[in-house]
Amino acid sequence: MLSAVLEQTLNGLMAGSVYVLVALGMVLIYGVMHVLNFAHGVLLMVGAYVCHFFFVRLTGSYPLSILLSAAVLALLGIALERAVFRPLQGNLRNQVIASLGLILVFENLVIALWGPNALQMKVAATAALVPLGEMRFSVQHLLVIAVTLAVVLVLFSFLKFSKFGTAIRATSQDRMAAMVVGIPVERVDWITFGLGTALAALGGALIGPLFIVFPQMGDAPMVKGLAGILLGGMGSVPGAVIGGFIIGIAESVSTVFLPTDYRDSVAFIVMVLILLVWPRGIFGVSVRGED
Amino acid sequence: MARFFGVFLLLVACGAAAQEKLAIGIVTSLSGPMAAPGKFQMNGFRLAEEEINSAGGFSVGGKKYLVELKVYDTRANPAEGASAMQRLATVDKVPVVLGELHSGVAAAEAPVAQDYSIPLVLTIPTGPNLTEQGNRFLFRVNANNDQLTQALAEFIAGQAWTPLAFIAWNNDAGRGGVNGMKKLLGEARIGYVGYFNVGEVDFSSHVSNIRAGNARAVMLLMDEEPGSLAIKQIRDAGLKTQLVGTLAMGSDRFLKRLDAQRLEGMVQYNAFPPNAKVPGIRVFSERYRKKYGEEAHGFAAQSYDGLKLTVAALQKAGKIDGRALRDALAAIEYDGVIGHIKFDAKGQAHPPVYVTQWCSDGKRRILYPETLKADCGAG
Repeated sequence: MLSAVLEQTLNGLMAGSVYVLVALGMVLIYGVMHVLNFAHGVLLMVGAYVCHFFFVRLTGSYPLSILLSAAVLALLGIALERAVFRPLQGNLRNQVIASLGLILVFENLVIALWGPNALQMKVAATAALVPLGEMRFSVQHLLVIAVTLAVVLVLFSFLKFSKFGTAIRATSQDRMAAMVVGIPVERVDWITFGLGTALAALGGALIGPLFIVFPQMGDAPMVKGLAGILLGGMGSVPGAVIGGFIIGIAESVSTVFLPTDYRDSVAFIVMVLILLVWPRGIFGVSVRGED
Repeated sequence: MARFFGVFLLLVACGAAAQEKLAIGIVTSLSGPMAAPGKFQMNGFRLAEEEINSAGGFSVGGKKYLVELKVYDTRANPAEGASAMQRLATVDKVPVVLGELHSGVAAAEAPVAQDYSIPLVLTIPTGPNLTEQGNRFLFRVNANNDQLTQALAEFIAGQAWTPLAFIAWNNDAGRGGVNGMKKLLGEARIGYVGYFNVGEVDFSSHVSNIRAGNARAVMLLMDEEPGSLAIKQIRDAGLKTQLVGTLAMGSDRFLKRLDAQRLEGMVQYNAFPPNAKVPGIRVFSERYRKKYGEEAHGFAAQSYDGLKLTVAALQKAGKIDGRALRDALAAIEYDGVIGHIKFDAKGQAHPPVYVTQWCSDGKRRILYPETLKADCGAG
C-alpha cells in the first residue's frame, strides 16, 4: 500500500508539473491584465507541435528545440496580446470570448498544418529508465518534474528580486498606482503575456516525448491548471504552484483507493473542499478591482 | 457512305465503352478521427471493384454491369451518416450501401436503410447492439465485439492468467468488453479495472495499480494509439505482466509504433491474420501488397469480402431492387478471404476469430483456434 501511494505520488508530481506550468502562465497574465486566457491549453499544444517540428525536422537536439519552441510561443503570445487582448482591454467578457475563439483557431490551424493524427516524438536521450526500488521511471518523467521545479525557482527569484519582476508584481497589485510611479504597464503586459505562453510551450515540449503530440493534448492541463489556480488563490503565483501540484497528486493518489472513473471528480472535489475552508484559495490575495 | 460508316463505328465503340454502370453506395471516413482505418476500408472496396470490373463486370437478369462506387465521407459523425444514407437512397438511388467504421454512425444509418428498403452491409463496426434491433435490412460481415470477446475468453480460460486486469475506454466498447469478459470468465478471475477517457494519454496511475494488485495479465480494451502508449508505459515501468490486446494491436503498423521487445509474448484477438497459410488469405495478402505496398489489413479484407459478396447476391437476386437483394443476402453462403460468411437471422455473419501472439522477432503466430494453429511468421 505504501509503495503504491509513493508511486502514485511520483505520477502525480509529474502530472502536477504540467498543471503548474499552465497555471503559472495563466496566473501571471491574469495578474497584470486581469484576463483569463482560456486558450492557454491550446498554446501548450502548439508549443508541443513547434518543439516536435524543430526536433524532428530541423535540429535533432531536444534541449535546443525546447528553447526554440518557448521562443516561438513567446513571440506568438506577444502578437496575441497586441492583436487580440490589448484592443479588448477593459472588456472582460469579450476577452474571454476571444480566448475561446482562439482555441478553435489554433486547434484547426494545427490540424491543417500537421493533420489530425497524433505525432510521436521519440527522444532517445531521455528514454532511459531509472530504477527506484521495484519501480522504474523514464528520465523524461523525472525531467518534467525537475525542470518545473527549476522554472518555479527561477521565476520566483525573477519576480522577487529583479527590477522588472517587481514591476510585474506592482502592476498586478495596482495598475493605476504602477502607472503613477512610472512603470511602463503596457510593456509589462506584453512581456508577461510572452512569458506566460513560453511557460505553456515548455509544458507541451516536456510532455510531448512522454506521450504523444496531438491536437487535444492541452485540454486537460488547461482545466486542471485552472482548478489549481482557484485552489491556490486567484492571482497568487505560489498558489498556482501549490494548487497545480495538489491537483496532480490528489487525482493520482486517489486511484489507489477509488475507481479511476472518479479521478477527474477527485481533482475538483478537492478544489471545492479547499475553497469551502479558504474561500479565497490557500494563498488568497485580493486582486485589484475584485471586491 | 464513308461518313455513315464512321458514325456507325463510333456508335459501336461507344456501346462497348459505355457498358452500364451500377452505382453502389459506400459510407466511410475519409476525414476526421477515423480517417486512418477508413483508408483500409476504401482500399478493400477499391481492390474488389477493380477485380470485378477488370473481369468484365457482372450480370443481373441477363444484363451486364460494371461496379461504380458512390463514396460518402461520414467523418465518424452520426448526423453526417444519416444524411449520406438519405442521399444515397433518394438522389443516387443505389440498391445497396456498404461500409461504415463507427458503431454510433452505423446506428444512425441503419434506420434509414430500413425506411427506404435498401440493405446496409457493415464491414467494420463491432457494436453488438447494431444487429439486435430487428432491422431486416442490416447485415454485418465482420465479427462483433461479443464474438471477439467470446473467442478471447475461451482462449484465456485455458491460461493461468488471473487475476486479469483491465485498462479500457470509458465508453460502450470498453465497458461492454469488460462486462463481457467478467460474464465469461467469472468475477473471481478479474483484478483491477481502470477506465480512461478519449484523449487521456497518461496511464501511469493504472500501471501503478496493476503492479500493486499483482495482476498476472492485463487486457487493453482500446485501439492502436492509446494501446501503444499503454504498452510503452507498462513496460517502461518494469511490469512483466502478460499483455492482452484487441484486433488493432496485431499488425505491422502497430509494431512500427513500438518494438518487438516490448510486444513479445502479447496476445490479441484478430479477425484476419494476414500471413496465415490459408489459401484465400494468401492470395488476398499478395494482391493487396502489390497494389498498396503494405501489409494487408483486416478492415480491408472484410470490406473486400463485403463488396464481392454483395455483387454475388445481386446476381442471385436477378434484379436491381433493394428488397430482392435483401432476400438474396439473407440466403447467401459465401467463401471469402476472412472465411465462410453466412448471415444469421439477425443479419450477423460468423467468420472465424483468431488469437495471435507476438514472437520475439516481431512476427506473429496463431494460437487459436486450435485447428488453425501456426508458428511464428504465419500470424
